[in-house]
Amino acid sequence: MTRGYLIRRLLAIFLVLAIVTFAVFAITTVLPGNAAIMILGEYATPDAVAALERQLNLDQPWYMQYFNWVAGILRGDLGMSLRLSLPVSQVVGEAFLNSALLGATALVAVTVIAIPLGALAALKRGTAVDLAIGLFSYLGTALPEFVTATLLLVFLAAPNSGIFPAGGFVAPWGNIGGFAYHVALPAFTLGLILLAHISRQVRSEMAEVLSSDYIRAARLKGLTERRVIRRHALPNSLAPAVAVISLDIGYLLGGIIVVEEIFAWPGLGRLLMYALENRDLPVIQAVTLLLAGVYALSNLISDIVIAMLDPRVRYA
Amino acid sequence: MTTFMISRRTVVMGMAATAMLPGISLAQSATPKPGGILKISHSTRIATLNVLNCSGPAEYPVVDMIYSGLTRMGPDNKPMADLAERWEASADAKTFTYFLRKGITFHDGSPCTADDIVATFQAILNPDVPAAARAVLNMIDTIEAVDATTVRFNLKTPFADLPISTAHANARILSKAALSGPREKLDTTANGTGPFKLETYDSARMVRLVKNENYYIKGKPYLDGVEMHLFPDLAAESANFLNGAMDVMLTVQQADFERITAANGITAKRIPSGRFVNVTMRQDQKPFDDVRVRKALAMSVDRGLLVDIVLEGLGRPAYDNLVSPEFQYAIEAPEIAYDPEGAKKLLAEAGYPDGIKVTLVASNRPAIRAQVAVALKEMAKPAGFDIEVETMSHDTYLANVWMKGNFYMGYWGMQATEDATFKLLLTSDASYEDTAWKNAEFDKLIADARSTTDSEKRRELYAKAQELQLKDTPYIVPIFEDILTASGKGAEDWTIAPLSRYYYVENVWLNKA
Amino acid sequence: MRDFFSSPTAVVGTTLLVIVLTAALFGPWIAPYDPQAFHPIARLQGPSAAHWLGTDQFGRDLLSRILHGAPATVAFGVFATALGVGVGSVIGVIAGVSGGWVDSTIMRILDGLLAVPDLLFTLLIVTMLGGGMEHALLAVAVAFTPGMARIARSAVLSVRTRDYVRAAIARGESGFYIVSCEVLPNALSPIVVEATIRVSFAIMIGATLGFLGLGAQPPSTEWGLMVAEARQFMFRNPWCVAIPGLSIAMAALGFNLFGDALRDALDPRRSH
Repeated sequence: MTRGYLIRRLLAIFLVLAIVTFAVFAITTVLPGNAAIMILGEYATPDAVAALERQLNLDQPWYMQYFNWVAGILRGDLGMSLRLSLPVSQVVGEAFLNSALLGATALVAVTVIAIPLGALAALKRGTAVDLAIGLFSYLGTALPEFVTATLLLVFLAAPNSGIFPAGGFVAPWGNIGGFAYHVALPAFTLGLILLAHISRQVRSEMAEVLSSDYIRAARLKGLTERRVIRRHALPNSLAPAVAVISLDIGYLLGGIIVVEEIFAWPGLGRLLMYALENRDLPVIQAVTLLLAGVYALSNLISDIVIAMLDPRVRYA
Repeated sequence: MTTFMISRRTVVMGMAATAMLPGISLAQSATPKPGGILKISHSTRIATLNVLNCSGPAEYPVVDMIYSGLTRMGPDNKPMADLAERWEASADAKTFTYFLRKGITFHDGSPCTADDIVATFQAILNPDVPAAARAVLNMIDTIEAVDATTVRFNLKTPFADLPISTAHANARILSKAALSGPREKLDTTANGTGPFKLETYDSARMVRLVKNENYYIKGKPYLDGVEMHLFPDLAAESANFLNGAMDVMLTVQQADFERITAANGITAKRIPSGRFVNVTMRQDQKPFDDVRVRKALAMSVDRGLLVDIVLEGLGRPAYDNLVSPEFQYAIEAPEIAYDPEGAKKLLAEAGYPDGIKVTLVASNRPAIRAQVAVALKEMAKPAGFDIEVETMSHDTYLANVWMKGNFYMGYWGMQATEDATFKLLLTSDASYEDTAWKNAEFDKLIADARSTTDSEKRRELYAKAQELQLKDTPYIVPIFEDILTASGKGAEDWTIAPLSRYYYVENVWLNKA
Repeated sequence: MRDFFSSPTAVVGTTLLVIVLTAALFGPWIAPYDPQAFHPIARLQGPSAAHWLGTDQFGRDLLSRILHGAPATVAFGVFATALGVGVGSVIGVIAGVSGGWVDSTIMRILDGLLAVPDLLFTLLIVTMLGGGMEHALLAVAVAFTPGMARIARSAVLSVRTRDYVRAAIARGESGFYIVSCEVLPNALSPIVVEATIRVSFAIMIGATLGFLGLGAQPPSTEWGLMVAEARQFMFRNPWCVAIPGLSIAMAALGFNLFGDALRDALDPRRSH
């Protein structure tokens, strides 16, 4: 891993983000309708729409709008939300923090549960335990988030008998219990698919490692089974798990859109849906930029972690 | 099609509803207790606090709490005093004088005077300002401040309903200072004269209002504050209301109404309203240029069944009159029976013996549009209408179909007056005239009724106009939808006006030990 | 391949797939009712002799709607994947075979597109196209293209240096012959495996778009839309949410298991 490699990767990320924002912008402006029409809705009159378009600078040609937007970005100004009349940085910043809390909770919980689960399945290969874990993880991958979330709402958050709140958000600062109580169902929904992925990946890698020559050699050396697993098998199965986790961040970023909508979580996913419905271009741009950026960075970080975990991997 | 013959059930359910209504007045007999925070749940975002152009279902209660108008619409659908304690009209209905209460202040402590009233109405009439109330106030010529507490409106044409127009939910009074400042500030800040002051505005989660100690009615509001909580998912919203986390559920879905009514301690309310779904048929092109085709479609709608399955019985069948029985001058529209056989004959007479194939467009928001469209498709099938329903996202609908298409689903809230309703959709110069019906005789009747102050004469003119409308069927109006809301244990005197934009939260109080 | 059915994964996967595909191919003919017909006296009912899976809010027969929705739902997944795989493979093969600057240019662009998460990418495209089933299909296909191109490219690269390809080059065969007769058939299996698994994702994304109101539109019987429409009534009749939800899970699971079993059978190194 050289500095040149890192710089090239980072440059590539910037290039990608530039292409993505331009594409989003160009296509959105070609579409019929705009934020002014959406804001005024069916009570819009032509003069009110015209007045609002002037106020929002939507009467300028699209390339001027894009130019202004890019110039703003370079000054560190993401512009104003067309629909919410607040600075985009504020709207998106708050949402990002909330999404990050949800995503991180899901990811940490999943990692802590999935890796031992996968390892267990690999060690107990062919037994009922393995089968149960396999079945659970297959079901997890086959249920879309909106189905899981709906079923959870019916069974765990129904009025009167409900164990968990049916959505809503409590900030963790000063009320960590309330946060945990509210984050449980959305995090579980998000985590289910990842749980399946990661535990399966760990299981198959571990199974492969366990049957490899050097584990056999380690056993022959007379090391205890515990030591073989803890010192040799597990670490060697982790690199691919990290790769899967970083790929799964992609799922996570998609998954928050549905989960936040259903559980009333004030994060980026819900903000994006809202901005898309209302043609709030500056917000769409900022959210896309942020999500793509997070994804690209997580890929980069995972490559670095893999290189550190697995000495065979080299990047030039 | 015997499956559609169960309309009788509607009648029974309708009666059950009227029997339920007196329950509301019981609560009002108790003496209100001051204090407490009322938590209201809603499912659509409060995207702006700008009273001039807000239109969201959850934005109206907020501006109703923060701001006051010159006048305000009462639960009886009549204008009542608000900032103006009384008003006078000249005999020709061209000059109106409003007399303000004395000593009113804005939330920031500055006095509210005639100058602020003049500035507000001038802003509404300014074509550079996006203002939703302009359409009902565009007959105003000049506004003058006679003295600090007297305002005079001089009209271009006579208009007897001005006190109703000044009560428009988007015509609340802003301060002159706020209006001359940057206009974007109106979206996120608010300085009104209403019973509550803005404390926190977080459109993604919660809007919090606190009591205005200097509200012009002494002793009101009773509540210390109000919180508006956003739940975009309806299932999550109803669960939070039922488990007591919320005191009021702003809008109850028809599907949930029975379940919520049955829950312990909950007062669910149906408020009959003139809110309707309508089928727009463009009449400057085939096939809807022929009144027989429109009549045939009207006969192919089982209105009772629609009330049953789309509204869950929580509404009333309508018979193509845009004006519901709540209106002062409404006439009783004759019932149109579901008669696919007759419709088929009428279609053949109009030159379509093999029926008509046509695409009906419905926006996916709110869901009721697509539901009615899908039901219509099934009901009109035996009459020879081969309807293909095309549902699309609301933004695409607004941009491509609304006001342009030849056959689509409309959905409108109740207007304050007959005049506002007809000027919205039916007169040649209506704001959203989307049928190309254009009837000069109808236009004249509406114009005459506008300038008449004599109530009996107006009744006659509006009756004629409605009959003309029923004779020609410019729209199919199959159902009137009730407004549904609910309050939980201890939340007393919560209500919504039939016009749905007025809430009277200053009267609400919490009866909690 | 012979002992394909010895693994439980393959048996379960194939069974589910047969059920789902039968429904998709013959569903509309075996459905007992018109899926759009109202039965106002039998609204929101649980399973009964007349309606085996119950009815929805309009009294429409759920079994008939599921059977009619099967082609829409499954075909959506299959066609979206086929389109994405087709285009992606062509791009990948071109990159892999050409090498040099063509390869590196294509790969940079693909890396760019891969930087946007699947569902987000689909969502952006479909909103821009204006929603609806066809647009959703196109969006899923576009979203799948870069990933498939990558897989196709690496499959081609692994084959390119094999002896039989070298021999063909030595024989002086034309480039087209080498690609179509030597490289492609041997690079096909990873592509097919990946494609099978992706069908299950496509079905889930399609259903999710239907749920968000951006895919299929009423009165369609697409399963995701059925869940979305029935959610309002889920406390009154949980069947009308559970049945389409589980149908989606069954279809996705079928393709997923079948794909996994296929991979194990085709690539013995990874079997476990």
